Amino acid sequence: MNRDVYVIGVGMHRFSKDFIPKRDLYFTAGMDALKDAGVKFRDVGALYNGYIGGGMTEGIGFAKDLGLTGVPVTHVENASATGSTAFREAVWAVSGGQTDVAMALGYDDMRMMGNPIARPPSGKKRLPSMENIMLPAGFFAMWAQRRMHENGTTVETFAKVAAKNWNHGRHNPMAQRRADHVVTAEEVLAADMVAYPHTAMMACASGAGAACAIVATGEWAKKHANGRPMIKVLASQAQSEHYSDGHIFMGAVVGPSYSTEITGKLAYEEAGVGPKDLSFVHVHDAFPIEELMYYELLGICGPGEGDRLINDGDTAIGGRIPFSPDGGLIARGHPGGPTGLAQVWDATRQLRGEQGKFQVEGARTGLVHMMGAGSICVVHILQRA
Amino acid sequence: MPKMAPLEEGYMVIPEKPGEPCQLLGSYSKAAKKSFFPIRKLCPITSEPVETVKLSPEGVLYSWSFIQMPKMGSRQKVEGGGYGVGQIDLPEGVRIQAPIDGKMGDWKIGMKMRLAPNPVVTDEDGTQYCGFKFIPVKEN
Repeated sequence: MNRDVYVIGVGMHRFSKDFIPKRDLYFTAGMDALKDAGVKFRDVGALYNGYIGGGMTEGIGFAKDLGLTGVPVTHVENASATGSTAFREAVWAVSGGQTDVAMALGYDDMRMMGNPIARPPSGKKRLPSMENIMLPAGFFAMWAQRRMHENGTTVETFAKVAAKNWNHGRHNPMAQRRADHVVTAEEVLAADMVAYPHTAMMACASGAGAACAIVATGEWAKKHANGRPMIKVLASQAQSEHYSDGHIFMGAVVGPSYSTEITGKLAYEEAGVGPKDLSFVHVHDAFPIEELMYYELLGICGPGEGDRLINDGDTAIGGRIPFSPDGGLIARGHPGGPTGLAQVWDATRQLRGEQGKFQVEGARTGLVHMMGAGSICVVHILQRA
Repeated sequence: MPKMAPLEEGYMVIPEKPGEPCQLLGSYSKAAKKSFFPIRKLCPITSEPVETVKLSPEGVLYSWSFIQMPKMGSRQKVEGGGYGVGQIDLPEGVRIQAPIDGKMGDWKIGMKMRLAPNPVVTDEDGTQYCGFKFIPVKEN
């Protein structure tokens, strides 16, 4: 990066299964972040809106509620990695000198997204597209099934990953799923089956929400620290697919898992830190197989050792390297556009020591990772300066 | 037998004569010596031209699942409680994702699977518009 970049403010609208007007989601998260940063909307020199399900330039309409300042607005869509990509654009806008203060704001409702439609040769009927054959749940379930075949991973291990994240989300006021009791692996296994071997309690929470992050130069960060630690962006990396044998080109969620390995390595290199330096990690844990695989692909443990990590409690809060301390996609939720920015919200507050009952003690460096449709991986590393 | 046509052109060939195999259309790159599905504009590895080829109608099951939630774009529960999906490796080195016939207990990684048309919608003139699926091959 050409200039150092810091996260100076974060905000959220709680993720929820309620149907909430998008305009309200947007405004709440935006105002929350501006207040947290201690800046005015007129200070923002670039705005990146992230959403998957909305209409043409919908976000610029909602931005009018924050003010008509002439700020350049760009709309970003990268499937689940939309919020992460909006954040990356904001980081680069500051790093590249385009502006001193930039905002990334993601919002969505996963339940209100459309599907591609094809027109048949006769033109008589609207038909589902040939490319639209597979639910993401099916893709991840087949990934899990293959893992069980090759490594002997059990459904109990998947259930432990999900139970851990449900329990992490219990104390997060922004989480969609806040269980009123300690969730057990047995309870997760007893839930309705969604796509074997994944049950409904292993699937990410699908709902509405918004999240926002404001990034700025060191000068702005120092001026607006207000006695809090400054949070520096050490690395910002993204990679789309590289070819590998067995590459799948067709479907709603495709792409090789090792995209995470490649992007993670680039981020470690840029940040000058390694997996052992991390205090916590956020990943695209739409289903437990993903989190399990990312333990290995991000270098937290060796190949085939992920099961041991979850079984030993290493990735729970209080363990060696907590994953998804805010509940992750499974408990905090996954509306789509804002999900990657919700990770930044938690990472920033974890590094400031502000997360109360779900605080990772002594957190100094955090990694946030998202996959978009399996085809784009975005990784950021943040550190308390 | 009703007339069958692909949902979209360029993905598969449905034979008119019964008994002939349904085949997927892919691309072969001479430069990379690899095949791909669906058809590519250029070789994704070398950016060199590719030629369209018919892929083998049989392959081996790489992974599978049984989905018990509504299909893409629908909120209705699936008839029969769910449907199978699989990843099938074809001899050309191509991995295909598709619905698979059968029920829980029918599938085993490594088993042989055969391609078949999968009717999705019937048009006013009776034409069945099809995607594709794979069916387990019973081995003697």
